[in-house]
Amino acid sequence: MYRLTDVTKLYAKGRQTVPAVRDLTLVIEDGEWLAVQGRTGHGKSTLLNLLGGLDRPTSGTIELDGRNLSRLREDQVTRLRAESIGFIFQTFNLVPTLSAAENVEAALIPLRAGAAERRRRVDVALDSVGLGDRARHLPGEMSGGQQQRAAIARALVKEPKVLLADEPTGNLDEDTRDEIINLLEKLWRERGLTLVLVTHDTAIARRAQRVGVMSKGLLSVHGVAAT
Amino acid sequence: MFFITYLRRELRRRMRQAIFIALGLALGIGLVVTVTAASAGVKKAQSDVLKSLYGVGTDVTVTGAAPKPPTPGSGPPKGGQTFQISPAGAQVCNDGKCHSAAGQTIDHLGSASYNPISQSEVAAVSRLKGVRAAAGGLALSDTSITIPKKFGQPGAPLPTPNSFNVQGVDTSHLSLGPLSAGTITSGRSLTSSDAHADVAVVDSGYAKSSKLKVGSTVKVVGHSFKVVGIVAQPQAGSPPQVFIPLARAQALGKAAGKSLKNEVNTIYVKASSAADIPAVQNEIKKLLPSGTVTTASSLASQVTGSLSSTAKLANDLGRWLSILALIAAFAVASLLTMAAVTRRVREFGTLKALGWRSRRIIAQVMGESLVIGIVGGVAGVALGFAGAAIITAVAPQLSATVASATGQQVVSAGGGAARGFSPTVPHTVAVPMSATVTAAAVVAAVVLAVIGGLLAGSFASWRIARLRPADALARVA
Repeated sequence: MYRLTDVTKLYAKGRQTVPAVRDLTLVIEDGEWLAVQGRTGHGKSTLLNLLGGLDRPTSGTIELDGRNLSRLREDQVTRLRAESIGFIFQTFNLVPTLSAAENVEAALIPLRAGAAERRRRVDVALDSVGLGDRARHLPGEMSGGQQQRAAIARALVKEPKVLLADEPTGNLDEDTRDEIINLLEKLWRERGLTLVLVTHDTAIARRAQRVGVMSKGLLSVHGVAAT
Repeated sequence: MFFITYLRRELRRRMRQAIFIALGLALGIGLVVTVTAASAGVKKAQSDVLKSLYGVGTDVTVTGAAPKPPTPGSGPPKGGQTFQISPAGAQVCNDGKCHSAAGQTIDHLGSASYNPISQSEVAAVSRLKGVRAAAGGLALSDTSITIPKKFGQPGAPLPTPNSFNVQGVDTSHLSLGPLSAGTITSGRSLTSSDAHADVAVVDSGYAKSSKLKVGSTVKVVGHSFKVVGIVAQPQAGSPPQVFIPLARAQALGKAAGKSLKNEVNTIYVKASSAADIPAVQNEIKKLLPSGTVTTASSLASQVTGSLSSTAKLANDLGRWLSILALIAAFAVASLLTMAAVTRRVREFGTLKALGWRSRRIIAQVMGESLVIGIVGGVAGVALGFAGAAIITAVAPQLSATVASATGQQVVSAGGGAARGFSPTVPHTVAVPMSATVTAAAVVAAVVLAVIGGLLAGSFASWRIARLRPADALARVA
């Protein structure tokens, strides 16, 4: 479970200070699907980065299962990400020189699993996203949808508790977008993941259990206003 | 292994850049190897010159003090010989008695470079602590001057000295002295039984120019010596051309008009170990304060010519050029590696998001840089070998020059104040220039390659360590 209390994130831009997230208090239950909408530059990705430990809040606390992320050392946060948090990006962010299987395997390297164990888990992960026959293909040899599937497999191969998806369908056509969202929903249900999904698409957002809207750093959750 | 796979694929992706960096490193390292090889070749040439001056087994050499030059009007020493050149013609004077030298050949065996040392001093030196062996020798010049019959008349040719070096060899200590540096190519060397015989070993170059072979006769101050062997010597500034037994050289030679019986002018000393050389040098200086005591390293300054210039060039300019080339190569490698890391910021941010620690990513980048460095090192060694081969093939022969005195005194009494001088004959020999790549140079090249690779990777690693994942992911691909 995530518990955010009065979280603020400020960025310095020249002489000005820009609040990307302001006084955000939020609880995300285990297994919940929260969609976050909002215009570009209003703090959606910043919120995701804070939830994933990729950035630290300027003030406030972010707790994941009782652990205050902002109090952890960098190596502890990194370990937490390696074990418990999966990321999916709009631009897929696959390593271009590694095959689909090797990209998925990259997520297991920090866990120091043996080579045989890694291979087994990679095969399972690729099969679960329907990419078993594309294991040896490089990202440049796959379509956008296939690349995003590989990215999903990479995020889920470590069996995380949390999945953070930043505009996962932003670079896909309509049909592929539906495929990916259907896949994500299926996996969310099957695995009981806590899913936080940032999207511009209202239709996609409505599929979530709760929808939050970021506006100038303030989050208002559907039915509940953030203070 | 994932590390190797990732490394290999990444290098293949930026193959052109990797080759460019490796090439830059190769050029820098290749220059270092080539300059080191040239320097080693020059050092070897210098060493060969020095060996032939004093022999392979000699650690310390003692020579008699240089005689004082004649002052004008002082006249010849007792028993000495002088020429007088005046409008009246040429005269040769012995012990103050002068006669016309026209049409005569004056032949003299002596040394104006070194005063004699008593042969008993050789035994004293051999008894010093740290001395394994000592042997005496006579380094002499046989100089003949033929005075033309019409010398002094208008249009008459001038007399010119002809000279060749004669070495009196202690045949009971053949491992010391210049003869030990040579290789007998025909006949035999001198033996202990030749101590009083009229036999000679002749330098191969001199034998060729003088049309001598084993069995021929060579004359030393008019005395005939039978050639029993031909010796090939390392090129030297002033290699002895004829080797005769010491006792015969003592009997025939003169110093300031006096016989050289029981005299030597050079003592060759072999130390018990290299560590003993400085102490031995000091002890000999105390024993023979008037002598000149030198070791191999101090002889280098006596050799002039293009060999010396090339040595300076290789050591000074060559070294600095190599350093500059290496700095440039390292700088280019570092900059290009940094640029490559900058292009991969998003990739590294993603890996951090996956839970990769900075040091894991740094190890990946350092591994890539190291591979490029090693490839550059191997190519650099190959370039170094090629450079050394080119130098050996096309470099002009170097020259080493040492002036040696003829042993004559010439006093000119015409047209003004009398002037005296001791004519010298410069001995210049060609020294082949070769460049040798040593094992140490290859090891140094590999070490430089590794350093170059690690240096390039370390700047990039610093960048990675400071990378904030959120910032990295925000970069547009």
